[in-house]
Amino acid sequence: MTPIIRAIDLVKRYSLPDDKSRTFAAVDGVSFEIFEREIYGILGPNGAGKTTTLEMLEGLNDIDGGSAFVDGIDVAKDPYSVKKIIGVQLQESEYFDKLNLIELLDLFGALYRRDIDAMELLGKVHLTEKAKARPANLSGGQKQRFSIACALVNVPKILFLDEPTTGLDPQAKRRLWDLVTELNDAGMTIVLTTHNMEEAEFLCGRIAIMDHGRLVAEDTPQSLIMKHAPEPPEAPLHGNIEDVFLALTGHALRD
Amino acid sequence: MLSKLQRHLAKDFMKIFLRDRQSIFFSLFFPVVFMSIFAFIRGGGQEPIPLGVVNQSDSAAAERLVEMLQEDFAFTVITGAEDDLREQLIAGEQMLVLVAPPDFSEPGIAGGKAVGLRLLADTSQFNQLPLVEPMLEQKLMAIEREFRGEEAMFSIEVENVQALSQNYLDFLLPGLLGMMLMQLSVAGSGYNVVEFRRKGILKRLFVTPLMPRDFIAAIVVARLGIVLIQLTVLLAFALFVLDVRIIGNFAEFYLVGIIASLVFLNIGFCIGSVAKTQQAIMAIGNIVIFPQIVLSGVFYPIDAMPGFVQPLAQVLPLTFVVSGLRDIAVSGETLVQIVPSLIGMAVWFVIGFALATRMFVWKEVAA
Repeated sequence: MTPIIRAIDLVKRYSLPDDKSRTFAAVDGVSFEIFEREIYGILGPNGAGKTTTLEMLEGLNDIDGGSAFVDGIDVAKDPYSVKKIIGVQLQESEYFDKLNLIELLDLFGALYRRDIDAMELLGKVHLTEKAKARPANLSGGQKQRFSIACALVNVPKILFLDEPTTGLDPQAKRRLWDLVTELNDAGMTIVLTTHNMEEAEFLCGRIAIMDHGRLVAEDTPQSLIMKHAPEPPEAPLHGNIEDVFLALTGHALRD
Repeated sequence: MLSKLQRHLAKDFMKIFLRDRQSIFFSLFFPVVFMSIFAFIRGGGQEPIPLGVVNQSDSAAAERLVEMLQEDFAFTVITGAEDDLREQLIAGEQMLVLVAPPDFSEPGIAGGKAVGLRLLADTSQFNQLPLVEPMLEQKLMAIEREFRGEEAMFSIEVENVQALSQNYLDFLLPGLLGMMLMQLSVAGSGYNVVEFRRKGILKRLFVTPLMPRDFIAAIVVARLGIVLIQLTVLLAFALFVLDVRIIGNFAEFYLVGIIASLVFLNIGFCIGSVAKTQQAIMAIGNIVIFPQIVLSGVFYPIDAMPGFVQPLAQVLPLTFVVSGLRDIAVSGETLVQIVPSLIGMAVWFVIGFALATRMFVWKEVAA
């Protein structure tokens, strides 16, 4: 099986803010392969280089060292062809305030030179009744779902999600997980970054853990747990406190 | 021509700009207030000059002189006895009193002796006298010519003087419109780009296979549309409310406006690419805008400026724009006659475009 994404020794350097002559590597020689129909998670603390790595794969950030191939295309050489076949949800995306959701989706459709059915896309992310709303009037969860709708206008082969559930309440988070699972079941390869270990465990087939710009581990969640996690002190409880929270407040979305 | 994508983008930008009611309101509000204030301050030029006339002669010629003065809209004639008017003059109610003495008679065609008219003036208003006296003198000369039967030649001259006699507002309007085109265009491209970048909108747009040239073309076209609407509103206000005249061809005036707008949109893009933050663009924008307002002959002719700034003033983009607009509006010149200004604008357009496309960055700029 050939990988749909190959990152080979990726490097991204930035000059230090207090001393412009010196640089530090935000991403320092990262290599991995992602296969078709996989949900691949990149975990790591803030500043580990997750977002920068994604941006290099997406053609949004110049690659300072190494190379990246997406669906066989060299990203550094032909970022435009890569952009055509990927969908991207950025961390904290803003949109033009003065356009409503339908107009924005049509705009994104035009940017990919595609005629799209905006209402159908909104239906997919459960935002049909917000069609005429402006992005500023959406809640956090709605905004994230809308971002995903925008990322889907070109029916991408690969969907990149950068911390899709950060800041969402548990209901919205679960709804988003369902959406990601659905898309993956339909055949989409998904690459996501997250701080949320539970999310990584729940969604991802394989996980890469990054720290200080390097990949420190990569495997399935189960093997990682077997390899690295200390023995649990006692038998696990009945679920966790989030399950309690959801049991008491229900699964219904609050926005 | 624009591609389908560019048209779609331009249409959306147009929507975005038009839905921003507040900024549209203020972009029109200030220029309108500005022009109105100048119209009121300088309106004096159009107001009739009060003139007291004392007719001590009973000749028909003296009657005719008074009538002719009364018919002239440039003067408000008050007739009366010399003593009364002299008192009013001292009280400051009159500025000038013209006295036709008892021996006033029709000036003979064959020459005859000059008619002795006396002019009484209030010395406290003497500073205004140099402005008013030539007008009066001109009028008297005109009357004299009519008496002498040189009517035909005289009436042609009056037509010309009327058409070209510009008051300050006529001179100012093209300057103000040029200045507004500059401000609206620089703000319209530069400030928008910085705002879009700051909010991450630029980055989101360029996640798609959007080409920078499509983005720039769309924003320029949309902005141009908005600026032309603004120009039309301001022009209509100036023409119909403030009674300003445009002598030249309207289409040509607009064409110069469009070229000017393109020049400044490019400059705006350059500023927007250099500036990383809102504060930076304000500062850089002011550095670009204010010297031009002062130096480009918006409010007074460049010739009136100190010699050492003139070489700089002559080559500023706004100078070419203002002189082009003014030559059409005030002097009624055609595009052919303003070719030097057009060349100046073209050079700035090329410089601006080259810099804008080279410097434009959609990627996030490290703050």
